[in-house]
Amino acid sequence: MSGLLINTQQALQLLLSGDPKLWSIVIISFSVSLKAIVLTTPLALLVAFALNHGNFPGIRFIVAVFNSLLSVPTVVIGLFLYVLLSRQGPFGDLRLLFTQTAMVIGQMFLCFPILVALGYAAIQAADQRVWETARTLGAPSWFSMLTVFYEVRFGLLAAVLTGFGRIISEVGISMMVGGNIMGYTRNITTAIALETSKGEFAQGIALGLVLLTLAFLLTVFLSYIQGKKEFAA
Amino acid sequence: MNEPLLVFRGIEKSFAGSQILRNVDLLLYPGNCILLSGKNGAGKSTLLKIIAGLETPEQAEIEYSGESHSWKTVIRSIRKNIIYLHQQPFLFSGTVLSNVAYGLRFTSLNRKQRRESVIEALEWAGLTDVATQDAKTLSRGVQQRVAFTRAWILKPKVLLLDEPMANMDHESREQTSLLLRRMKSSGMSIVVTSHMQQYYDGLADQHFHFKRGRLVP
Repeated sequence: MSGLLINTQQALQLLLSGDPKLWSIVIISFSVSLKAIVLTTPLALLVAFALNHGNFPGIRFIVAVFNSLLSVPTVVIGLFLYVLLSRQGPFGDLRLLFTQTAMVIGQMFLCFPILVALGYAAIQAADQRVWETARTLGAPSWFSMLTVFYEVRFGLLAAVLTGFGRIISEVGISMMVGGNIMGYTRNITTAIALETSKGEFAQGIALGLVLLTLAFLLTVFLSYIQGKKEFAA
Repeated sequence: MNEPLLVFRGIEKSFAGSQILRNVDLLLYPGNCILLSGKNGAGKSTLLKIIAGLETPEQAEIEYSGESHSWKTVIRSIRKNIIYLHQQPFLFSGTVLSNVAYGLRFTSLNRKQRRESVIEALEWAGLTDVATQDAKTLSRGVQQRVAFTRAWILKPKVLLLDEPMANMDHESREQTSLLLRRMKSSGMSIVVTSHMQQYYDGLADQHFHFKRGRLVP
């Protein structure tokens, strides 16, 4: 017990002293995950909207596929991407394996179904009159879509935050296609795994605290959004 | 009566195997108000949505500019002249002002002209006092007026109203009725659905009733 306390104390010292090695890991984590979420969100929301307002066969099947992809293990995505990006793989010539780009791509694969499934649910909850009113007032389709997005913005924001929470805390993809290279592809989760295996608990705990703080902030923010949503309704 | 503005012929629509509209014809004249009545589910709202281009009919012809076209080929070009208002109008998140100004951004008016139009429209509907209020917090009667103003500002040729006075108190009904008269006198063609025929005495020029998917006088 005292060992844990000592390690936690050391972890806090590392965090508060601005340890460059530790903070570079945090920055890489946020940089990769923010890029992934920013690049995925527009396309995922377009797909979610098309599934809601489209009139083509197989919509329910596609939605079911996205819902089932919510629980796909990150190592499976990592493995799939590893095979694609490895030298023998179809995209081996791009030399993306063990780069931040590969991590971003992997995390995009991970958050895409989350954003589509949760975005779909949020848009489905929108009043049908939003679209009809926008259209009858002369708004073109794209602007009517943006109007719908605006009316369900709290639900969509919750979807984005959930997706971000999922990708910043994943370890399988980052480990497999990032390679855990210090100062380049080592992020919070892969560093925790490594430091723990070396018996360096202080840095692992410090990074864990960063993730826990982020999880706490996201939860508080989601609760706030939920409150705003209920108030708006 | 003058030449009709738009003529809809042979509108057919069914839902889940049940035919809601059977060979319905509707002639819209400028400055004319048509009242449509019928039971719930008779197809009143569906007809209005087809005219507004929000629902697709199985079959329909539109006579426009002296020629007959299929609904699909001309609805895109004529829908900008037609506005449909729901029974309970949907007001977007934001102020009354932003709601009234919504459709103007899709017109050729510049920023200054848009602002002037909004001010004029708010005065026209007596909404200047609530211009900066959150539209969703207003009473049903005032929300209906905001929706009317949001439509009126775009100067549509045809206004389609779905039960506009349902569940309104007497005062709100009076105000809504006044706005409708003003819209009609400005030359708009109005089609209104209602169970309450008495509210439209002196306003409606024609009255049709839905009977087994057909319109009968």
